[in-house]
This record gives sequence, structure tokens and C-alpha cells, in this order.
Amino acid sequence: MIGDVIEQSLRQRSPLIPVEALLGNCDGSRMPEILADRLTRDIAQKLIEVCPTSALGIEEREGRPCLRLSYGQCIGCGKCVEASQGAAVVAKQFNRCGVAKERTMLLWDIDGRVEVRALVPSPEEARGQIHSLLQRALNVRQLDPGSCNGCEAEITALTNPYYDLERFGIHFVASPKHADMLLVTGPVTRNMADAVKATYEAVPAPKLVVAVGACGCSGGIFAGSHAIVGAVDAVIPVDAYIPGCPPTPAMLITGIIEALRRCIAK
Amino acid sequence: MSSLFPNSGRASPGTAFTLPQSKAGGAARLVTIFGSLDSHGASRVHYVFDVGKPAYSEIVRPANGPLRSIAHELPSAAWHERELHDQYGFEIVGQPDLRPLIFHDNWPDGVHPMIDRVDDVPWIKREYHFLQVQGEGIAEVAVGPVHAGIIEPGHFRFSVVGDTILHLELRHFYTHKGTEKLFEGKSAEDGAMLAESVSGDNCIAHAVCYSQAIEDACRIEVPPRASAIRLIGLEFERLVCHVSDIGGLCTDVGFSVAAAYATRLKESLLQASTQCCGTRYWRGVVVPGGLRFDFDSARVAELAQVVVRASRDFSKIARTILETPSIQNRFETAGVLSREAARDLAVVGPIARASGMDLDVRRDHPYGGYGNYRIEVPVTHYGDVMARARIRIAEAAVSAQLIQEAARDLPDGSAFTPVASQGDVQGFSSVESPRGELCYWVEVRGGHVTRCHIKSPSFQNWPAMPLAVAGNIIADFPLINKSFNLSYSGCDR
Repeated sequence: MIGDVIEQSLRQRSPLIPVEALLGNCDGSRMPEILADRLTRDIAQKLIEVCPTSALGIEEREGRPCLRLSYGQCIGCGKCVEASQGAAVVAKQFNRCGVAKERTMLLWDIDGRVEVRALVPSPEEARGQIHSLLQRALNVRQLDPGSCNGCEAEITALTNPYYDLERFGIHFVASPKHADMLLVTGPVTRNMADAVKATYEAVPAPKLVVAVGACGCSGGIFAGSHAIVGAVDAVIPVDAYIPGCPPTPAMLITGIIEALRRCIAK
Repeated sequence: MSSLFPNSGRASPGTAFTLPQSKAGGAARLVTIFGSLDSHGASRVHYVFDVGKPAYSEIVRPANGPLRSIAHELPSAAWHERELHDQYGFEIVGQPDLRPLIFHDNWPDGVHPMIDRVDDVPWIKREYHFLQVQGEGIAEVAVGPVHAGIIEPGHFRFSVVGDTILHLELRHFYTHKGTEKLFEGKSAEDGAMLAESVSGDNCIAHAVCYSQAIEDACRIEVPPRASAIRLIGLEFERLVCHVSDIGGLCTDVGFSVAAAYATRLKESLLQASTQCCGTRYWRGVVVPGGLRFDFDSARVAELAQVVVRASRDFSKIARTILETPSIQNRFETAGVLSREAARDLAVVGPIARASGMDLDVRRDHPYGGYGNYRIEVPVTHYGDVMARARIRIAEAAVSAQLIQEAARDLPDGSAFTPVASQGDVQGFSSVESPRGELCYWVEVRGGHVTRCHIKSPSFQNWPAMPLAVAGNIIADFPLINKSFNLSYSGCDR
């Protein structure tokens, strides 16, 4: 009986997705991308009105109005894309996973119709370094301080035969004492705040903390609730952020690898 | 016992009311209890009962004095009343257990978010007493809130003799996010996004249920095309959850090959979903009035094709799982939930159907496109892990069939009707989510949500789990827990 299952498995082609196809892939997350050459003041105003989590806002920079997009707050609802008259589209590639907080934020000069580069350094090329990273081992402890379980569902998917995180030498471990990295989803609720601190304390140094999902990065749609303390960085230090609601498995892999790469480069 | 439950046995000054009877005889099944404020700010309590097909019955009572607990007649009311006490501060007389449910040791007594200001609630330290089982050789095992795996947080306090569990006490609400309060002030449309984040793996069910409640309040008919696509989404979600649950059960007994196979099927479904609607879990699809955007009919047909293949593969692997002797050895007679316990605690969904309760919202209170189809509802009475696995396998096949039929009959036309609400309106809706009966009650004033109550199936089912666990060995707990597969976030909200 079990033989039938194994035989059937063997007859099928491996569904494993090559790492090159995963990095930067954000299909299924509906992360928006702003096309600066189509921006106008009216459109920018409309975008910030429809955004349910204030991920889009208008800021002054050197006396000029700028459109700000914080990917850490974005839940990928797609309302800006609908309202933008072509100035916002669903991104095909996304390179803001596993980055530092300031790099989850983008800024465009509305009248000049250009991205304000000073704030955001251009992304380094991660791909070339991937294979050297694959020789290392990384033990990850996932921690849920109040997530809706959406991020957990996607993190669980990392171990399926399509993504097979183990091929990168990355394992999920049961105890924070065995972990190199804490992968923290969701807003930190009042009831979980102590447990989050205790878990962080239990991880041996150097501890790498990655905040996952809109809620982990910013509180997301739950920001401002009386029952939450805030984003993960309101309670423990965070090294890297993976936006998305929820981030897809490809975004999670990109983010974990990028966070690891940055840690080693330090 | 008496010091722990100071209210028990006291005379009841609260006004009593007659509990409704079901059309089939006997006490009607309690669906939910919740509080609200009327337009003058006076407190009310709503009791919702299922009196039999096709309608629910709602009793609204003023809460200007102490309320009499109905938990002695209907044990299923116990957690609802404790939540009411925490959120509104109502005095509930005769409730055997008024320990805080939602708020933990850091929350001050006397602060009730639904009626008090909560912008700056002080942090305090108060004590919480677990029930202590005393006697020779009894040990306590505390597990959680942080668990060993990629799972949500909750606390389990076992009292064991050797390997055998005598008693399990749950302490949940670690993921309580004040969600019902967060709905207040949102536009009817934006509320759908919050509903999607109540329980991340049941987000279609929550979005549809919320939207139906708004549509009920605003007296709006959803176009047939939107109803049909919602039905496909709801059944797709059920299929994904059940495939995932069967894989999870296999993981928990070390049957890795079958588990890996199930995760592979689940992933193939989620990727097909991205092709069809742009997101893996159908987020941002359902809004009050219909769908945010219309689907390409060809893409829906493609999704149905993927479902056919996945369902065929799943039934093969499921047969193998059920026929494997070591699986039978672990699944059979483990974690039996008796029919009486399931009825007393008003358990819903696959758990109820595995314990002999024949209920399914899709058939008993049809909504959306379900009136067009005959819904086959599998029921068995064994109540063990095997029964719950069999129910899920049978339901997955029914869901796949429904997706085929709905995709084949997909009507043309618009997928959205604009929502306009005047004045002060209320709406109620229920949906058979993958975990069972999910209900939303909403109140909209001037286009904005002023109250949204969510009764999640997990909130109703969690209290039944300790009863299924008692008498089993502690090593079987993860398996029994997985066979219930309840949501923490959905329960805690």
C-alpha cells in the first residue's frame, strides 16, 4: 500500500523550484510598484486615501511633496492599483525582503516624477553569493506572538517539495535554545509580550531576528489596537524585515537568505 | 473548588428567560452570545439560537442589571458569558467560573474595552488560578504558550498520572488582538480586509461571512455570478484545509511520505489559486456587494481542472492512509469525543459531524449559491481521530464536486452591486467554514461599522477538546489536537 504511494511519487517529476526562480519572486502577494513617470498630485492623493493601513503617505522633502510607500505596512490589498490610473501596478519582482527597516520604505518626488534615491540605496546583487551561502547551516525558530496564522501557513509551505528549505541547509528547530534565527510573525499582543522577550533571551548570541509579514513589520491591519503592543521591534531588536500579507514562500526564502547574507557581510 | 468558583450555587437575582426549544424537540443549540450598545449607549445582550431549519432565532435583552447565567442549562454558554464579562463588565450571576478569559495577568480588573477607554491601559500583575487536581502520583505538565513547531500560541495544563491524562485545562487568548473593537469606525468595505485577518487560513469564509452580514444589514442582493465564485472560493478553501489537515495528521504519526504528498497537493492548489485570482489564499477578493473584481471564466475553469486532478490524487493517497495498519492503530479509539459532550458544548463543523451531530450550515441555513445544490453531509458517530480524518476526506471529495458543478454552471453578468446603507441597520450571517459554523453580526450606522461580533467555530469547539483528551496518554495529545485542528487566532480574535 505504502509502496503504491512511493511508486506514484517516483513516477512524477520533482516539483522543486530552482533557487534562481525563487529569489525576488513575489507572485501571489500583490505587492504594489509605483511607476514614477505616471505620478501626479491628484493620483498621489487618491492613493493615500484608499490605502487601508497608511502604507502610502505624502511627506515633504526639501520643500517638495513626496509619495512614501512603506512596504512593511502594505497588506497587498490592491486598492492602490485599482485607483491609480496606471501609476501603481502589481510588482513582478520584489527585492525588499530580508532588508533593514529603512529599505522597506520608498519615496518618490511627485512633481519631478522620480524616485528619491538618497533614502534608498540600490539593492546589491544577491544571486552571485547564494551558492556560497548554501554551504552553511542555519537553525530557525519560528515564533508567533499573535499572528492570524496566515504567515504560519506560508512558513509551513517552505518545507514542502516545491520549496524544500532544507536544501539550503536551513532547518526549523523546536527550541529557541537551538536557534540562530528567530522568525517572528504577527503583531505582538499584550498577552504574548512576556513570552516573546523570554524566547528572545533563550536564543544564544549572535541572534538574528527577522520580522515577518505586515503585522510583524508594522502591526499591519491591527496597528493601534488596545490588545497589541505593536510590531515585533516594539518588543525585541529586529535585524531584517520581510513584508507581505502574508509573504509568499518565495518572498520568505528571499528574505531569510538576504538576512543571512547581510549578517555574514557585517 | 469552592474558593475557585465563588459564584457557584448562589441564588440568582438576575432575571430569567425561557430558553428556546428546537423544532426537533429539546433545547435549541446555542450559536453565540454577545453584547452591544444601542444608539443611546445602553447595553444589550444578544443570544442567538439555532431552532432548526431554516432560520436562526435571536433574543435581545437589556443589560441594565445583573444577568442570570445560562451555563448550567447550556454548558456551551460558559465561554461566551466569560467573554461578555471581560469585554462589557456585565455581572453574570450563577456563572460557575468568572476567571478572566480574554485578558491575562497584565490587564487590570474593571477595564472593559467595549465600554471603557482603552488608549492607555496600565500594566499590572494579577494572579490566575489553574484548577488543581490533587492526589497521590498526580503530576502537572505545563505546555506553551510557545510551542515546539510552526504553530500558534496557547497554554495547556495537563494533570497526569504516569502517561495518562486525567485533566486538561486550556488557557488561550494569547493572540487576542481586540479585533471586534477594531471593526468600529471602519467603512463597510474596509471591514472585509480585517475579517480576512481573523483566521488566516480561513480567510475566504471570514470575508464572505462578514460581507453577507453587511449585505443582510443593507438589504442587498449579490449578483449570481459573485455568489457562484464565492461558493467556489469557500469550497476551495475547505479542500485546501482538509488536504492540509490530513497531511498534518500523517506528520504527527511519522508517516512522512503521505505527509509530503499532501503538502505537495496543497501547494499545487495554492499555485492554481494565484493563477486564478492573484493571491494564494483569495485575499482581497470578497467585499460587501460581491467581488472586488470579476474573474476570467477561463481561469475559473482552469482552477476547476486543477481541483479535479488534486482531488483524484488525494482520494488515492487518503485510501492508502486509511488502509495502513500502523495508522489505524494510532487513529482508532484515540481522542473520543462523545455525542453527549459534543451536544452539550454545541460543537460545530467536522468535529461535530464525527461525533454524530448532523449539522451543516450549507444545508440547514443555505446562503449564497448553496441553495442551488444538494449538499451531501457525511456524519459518523465514532468521535475518534479516525472519524475526524474520515469526515475530512469525505468532505474534500464533496467540495471538489461542488467546485466542478459551480464552475460548469458559472453565470454571466456583473460580480458586484454597490452597497449603500441608510440609518442604523443590523445584519447577521452564518457560513460553514472549514472548521464549522462561523457567524458575523454587524451593526452599521451612517455607512460605518459600529459593532461587529464574530463567533468563530474554534471558540465554540476548544472547550470540547479537553474532554476528548482525558483518559488518553500524553503522547497522543499532539495527534488529537491536530485532529481537531482549531484556530487560535480565530478563537482569540
